[in-house]
Amino acid sequence: MGESIISIKELSKSFGDHEVLRKIDIDIDQGEIICIVGSSGSGKSTFLRCINKLEHQTSGRILYHGKEIRDVQREINEYRAKVGMVFQSFNLFNNMTVLQNCMICTRKVLHISKEEAFDRAITHLKEVGMAPFIHAKPSQLSGGQKQRVAIARSLCMNPEVLLFDEPTSALDPEMVGEVLNVMKNLATTGLTMIIVTHEMAFARDVSTRTIFMDRGYVAEDAPPSELFTRPKNPRTREFLSRYLAG
Amino acid sequence: MRYGLLATADPQTSIEWMIYLTKKYYRMFLDGTKLTLYIAVLGTLIGFVLGYVIGIIQDAKTGQGDNLLKKGCVRILKIIAAAYVEVFRDTPMIVQAMIIYYGIRQLGVDMMPVFAGILVTVLNTGAYMAETVRGGIGSIDIGQREGAWAMGMSPMKTMLYIVLPQAFKNIIPEMANTFLTNLKMTSVLNVIAVQELFMAAKTVGGNYYKYFESYLVIAVIYFVLCFLFNKLFNFLEKRLKGKTDYALAVEYMDNQ
Ligand SMILES: Nc1ncnc2c1ncn2[C@@H]1O[C@H](COP(=O)(O)OP(=O)(O)OP(=O)(O)O)[C@@H](O)[C@H]1O
Ligand SMILES: [Mg+2]
Repeated sequence: MGESIISIKELSKSFGDHEVLRKIDIDIDQGEIICIVGSSGSGKSTFLRCINKLEHQTSGRILYHGKEIRDVQREINEYRAKVGMVFQSFNLFNNMTVLQNCMICTRKVLHISKEEAFDRAITHLKEVGMAPFIHAKPSQLSGGQKQRVAIARSLCMNPEVLLFDEPTSALDPEMVGEVLNVMKNLATTGLTMIIVTHEMAFARDVSTRTIFMDRGYVAEDAPPSELFTRPKNPRTREFLSRYLAG
Repeated sequence: MRYGLLATADPQTSIEWMIYLTKKYYRMFLDGTKLTLYIAVLGTLIGFVLGYVIGIIQDAKTGQGDNLLKKGCVRILKIIAAAYVEVFRDTPMIVQAMIIYYGIRQLGVDMMPVFAGILVTVLNTGAYMAETVRGGIGSIDIGQREGAWAMGMSPMKTMLYIVLPQAFKNIIPEMANTFLTNLKMTSVLNVIAVQELFMAAKTVGGNYYKYFESYLVIAVIYFVLCFLFNKLFNFLEKRLKGKTDYALAVEYMDNQ
């Protein structure tokens, strides 16, 4: 096995007295599709936000290709350009068209030429089936379309890792499928993905590794074939049975 | 014998006096109008810039990861900004004008009244705009900023490319309002001998002891100016709203 892209070492995060993440240790290797499941409030979002440095950990380290990401804005920016994030609420730029949304960061962060930024935008918008909508504003799109644009926007940066925080939770049921399909296709491209989701079927079918988070701990970390059929931790079992029942 | 409304040789009624004074002193009224506009436009524009700077400072946040020097600097800047905004919002502009004009003269600097007038307008506008800008920034959901940060855009560029353009659009009505307020508030600058419209009316009125008529003349001028600017701003605002539909890029349709 090669060197990990991201190594999380004893990562802890508290909000005041509230310990949300407790000494998390995880290595993420090239090409892994990691799904994180767990009940509400277990710290899944906080964990992803810490990986992207949107939250500052209380203690612990994050290594990217073996090098620690320090709290220097410039280093954080460079790291984030390689480790993108897709949000539950899309977070598109409302004042810009779909095309501008996909070009602004490649232009202003990576400083690539207009032509190249355009080509990248079109390539990735085609990939998610949103190329015909380049002139639309986010407010003119459905939730599923917005999320596909958000994914394309992140792909334009040519990231090594993409983090997804419940990308389909804000969507109407009939739009969940179109976004999950896009993600399934992405999973076949070799992109490393970490996905927080409540879509158990998706986690079971697509992930190469499933993590169950419970009260700030990584309670179980196993291939989906094991975690979903023979969970070792009683709390995983309890969580899954609640899902299967519901 | 009277010559109707255009009688100028021997004015009797107030209307006739207004016409008489306007004709006789049109240069003074014209110069006053020009100066009023000059101070209002320049003072407002520079004041807007100041307001944006102060508003951005007030919105600045330091993270847990920032070093002590940065935290200290931001803290001090924020205190200065907050004090400035409070002082200028909680004192009348007429008093600020006196203090700034005479204060600086007492320091031995010979300052033109017009310059002092612009300075007071700038400082006043900056204090009010700072609050407006802060509100405008606050009205842009934090998610859009996080979306930009998460792709490696620096907080500075995010402010510049994502937040400010939207905040700007949201506060255009408030900016228009501020300009109209300033246009009227320049009248207080007569206390430091700025030859703006109010000063013109005061002088003209004094010549014939016709204050009522003289002030009515400038009331009409202020009204017309504000009315026209208001219409102009409404027009621009509508133009800025832009299209509500979009064209499908058919050249990429076959890929669906
Ligand atoms: N900015 C914050 N300040 C204080 N507490 C916070 C903050 N963000 C999250 N928390 C708390 O941290 C805990 C974990 O939140 P988090 O959003 O990470 O959970 P989650 O697993 O993503 O839940 P969900 O499935 O509902 O999204 C919660 O108890 C939440 O109240
Ligand atoms: Mg969450």
